[in-house]
Amino acid sequence: MNFTQQEMGPGVRLYLCPTDKFKTLTCKVFIQQDLQPREAAQTALVPLLLRRGSQRFPTTGDIARELEDLYAADFGSDVLKIGERQILEFHFQMVDPQFLPQGQKLLRRSLETFWEIASRPYGEGGFFEPYFQQERHNLVQELEGLINDKRTYALVRCTALMCAQEPFGIYKYGDADTVRSLTAGEVYAHYQKLLAGYPLDIFVVGSQAKKAAEILAGLIQGRDGQQKLQPPQRVEVEQPRYFEENMDVQQAVLVMGYRTKLTYPDGDYYSLLVGNGLLGGFAHSKLFINVREKASLAYYVSSSLEGSKGLLTITAGISGEQKEQAVEIIQRQVRDVQEGRISAQELEQTKRGLISSMRSMQDNPSSLVDRNLIGIVHEELRSIEEVVEAIEAVTLDSVVRAMGHLQLDTTYILRPSPQKGAGHGTD
Amino acid sequence: MEQIKLPGGETLFQERLANGLQVMVLPKRQFLRTFGILSVHYGSLDSKFELPGRGAVEVPPGIAHFLEHKLFEEEEGSVFDRFAAWGASVNAFTSYNQTSYFFTTIDHWRESLAYLLEFVHTPHLTEENVEKERGIIEQELRMYADYPEHRIVATLLENLYHENPVRLDIGGTVESVRSITLAELQLCYDTFYQPGNMALVVVGDVEPQAVLELVRSSCPAGGNGQAVLRVDPAEPSGIVKPWAETQLPISRPRYMLGFKHDPLWRGQELLRMQIAMTLGLRLLSGRSSQAYAQLYGEGLVDDSFSASFRGHPRFAHSLISSETDDPQALHGRLVQIIDGLKAGGVEEGEVERLKKGFYGLFLGALDSFEYTANRLTAQYFEGTPYYSYLEVLAEVTARDVQSALAEMLDWERSSVSILRPVQSHG
Repeated sequence: MNFTQQEMGPGVRLYLCPTDKFKTLTCKVFIQQDLQPREAAQTALVPLLLRRGSQRFPTTGDIARELEDLYAADFGSDVLKIGERQILEFHFQMVDPQFLPQGQKLLRRSLETFWEIASRPYGEGGFFEPYFQQERHNLVQELEGLINDKRTYALVRCTALMCAQEPFGIYKYGDADTVRSLTAGEVYAHYQKLLAGYPLDIFVVGSQAKKAAEILAGLIQGRDGQQKLQPPQRVEVEQPRYFEENMDVQQAVLVMGYRTKLTYPDGDYYSLLVGNGLLGGFAHSKLFINVREKASLAYYVSSSLEGSKGLLTITAGISGEQKEQAVEIIQRQVRDVQEGRISAQELEQTKRGLISSMRSMQDNPSSLVDRNLIGIVHEELRSIEEVVEAIEAVTLDSVVRAMGHLQLDTTYILRPSPQKGAGHGTD
Repeated sequence: MEQIKLPGGETLFQERLANGLQVMVLPKRQFLRTFGILSVHYGSLDSKFELPGRGAVEVPPGIAHFLEHKLFEEEEGSVFDRFAAWGASVNAFTSYNQTSYFFTTIDHWRESLAYLLEFVHTPHLTEENVEKERGIIEQELRMYADYPEHRIVATLLENLYHENPVRLDIGGTVESVRSITLAELQLCYDTFYQPGNMALVVVGDVEPQAVLELVRSSCPAGGNGQAVLRVDPAEPSGIVKPWAETQLPISRPRYMLGFKHDPLWRGQELLRMQIAMTLGLRLLSGRSSQAYAQLYGEGLVDDSFSASFRGHPRFAHSLISSETDDPQALHGRLVQIIDGLKAGGVEEGEVERLKKGFYGLFLGALDSFEYTANRLTAQYFEGTPYYSYLEVLAEVTARDVQSALAEMLDWERSSVSILRPVQSHG
């Protein structure tokens, strides 16, 4: 279940996976650009504006009625951050035409609808101003609403503090102040530039992938595709930093950010991936066993790897009073992995676990596509077989070597205000 | 094994074993994963039950969930480790009416399935490991307490229900979790973890007969043979409180409106009501509805606007919610819009188009092992015939939707829960 790749025009690459395994046809389009403060905010508004209406379907209701009529076809658009790239995504999924009455006709109509919504927003020579005003307000609300999910908020805050001087510190949707200052004209101009000039990757999965790609090729026209992009910045840690924030919450969220030095293009990358798995990727990992099962300090504790920028982040939900103890146990687990105190069983379990989740992606069209995002950013796609082979080749020594580069940069904790008890509501 | 054709061309195989365990297998050709889920018909609603010779017993809230945590501990170590050795993963969840344990594996389905059956059937409860679990569960409850979406529902259900345990958190409270004893955990385990009160679903590229044989040989021969006698407290028809406001450190207010219904439907009728109400609520909150266009245009709701119907044999309610700058104004507009729908605002063309969408959603969902297995389990425990979904969908008319809305959305039995931001002190 791999993709065949072909160039489809200036800066456009097409990846096809014809298969009759699924009951759906899935298309995803990714347009990438360098992560920059103003552009991040501009791009973040695009998905919100697209769902308001297009030339042929001028309102949200018109779009929704058309999609329902196509047997609940799904159009979606979002913004992602991979390393120091911001990615504008359009995706489309429909029931495989073979299960629908007049499937062939519906396939063409559906894809035309897809590209209509993605590329022809409602308005005359720009976004419709009332839609723009409202969606700009909604995006500000969404950014200010980050605080509603304490775990996500803590992660975003830690990243922003740690990478304050680097593009990676920018949140994927930009920041509220920048969004407030945006004009419809500049957002539209930026959106047009993205459509015409930035690298664009299309993935199609389904029994009619070839046919779908032909139709899409006819729809995606008029590109110059000349835009060149930058690689991510590398930074040395000078002195570990500590930040604390108080809020009226029931539980503290602890986030520890490490620099990995190694990233996707490096030889030892898969040893780092296994190292992260040993540390906190699974329920058999050191963090889960020691912080949760042995010390009963947390319900959730895990680590995750951002392989494009090179960051390893540990997150735990703990009691505010137990911070010192939690940090100490966590740091001991990191040292244990770095110094090779890893049993043969742990190493084997972690490799098996990573290989299983890699192979499992072939059972879901969306994961099958999304696993390639880091590959398109680094212009090196790797097949599932290649990755499985690379994980198989990881040894205790290579894990120790890879994890040896890890350096703690920033510790952040969001915790209950000391002078007040846990927050209780009032009726 | 009994064979049942599913829409989309697949076949479900099922059989009830002599010990009472229901086994369902859905073969999925070409797929690499195998998903197995063993469910106990026992959840947070079941804190009161009758025991032969002892009469009615009531235990503290949170036991079903506590047991779910504890079953992962075995004498020879952690259950997670065993699955990890096969590259498999294992997890569990507890809901109002069931506790489910599930694994996902690529190439060790036999070992995984045998061990799933084994660890669920061999509890290892000690004073020490029960004590240790309290801290972990306390952090889990505190995590949920910080989720606004969790708090708003919890408050609303407390407003709607006097006695029905659906009003309580599935995990109980920090205090109830501290009070739960080893003896109570053991009693509930012995009462509910009986093969006759359980169902297994396996989805993947497997041979149904091979699954059945493996289950037969690794399952205990028989349970205690006693039927579970649940005691559901009588729930008054009225609500507790029409309105409640809570302050939390959030960015803007959230509004939720709930309607309490009488859970009278069974089997096909329950499925029909689920479909009719889900269609009806789409006319209110669906992106294609006029109501959504109006409320969004007026700036009273945002993309978080949603409405859902939960219909179950032991409770039923509808919930409608959104983030909003002005909860009062939104409430006023919803009263107008809902009364309009109830008074004859359901149009046939709208319902037929929504039904087309539901048809597509149903087919697409067949690719999700987890979703399909959950529907099959619910079908068995709750008696909603999943495999006749498309037939029932085809039968539901605009008039059914109209009368369901008119009957269910009864203002006398409604309540509002609002969350408001507090200034955080930092």
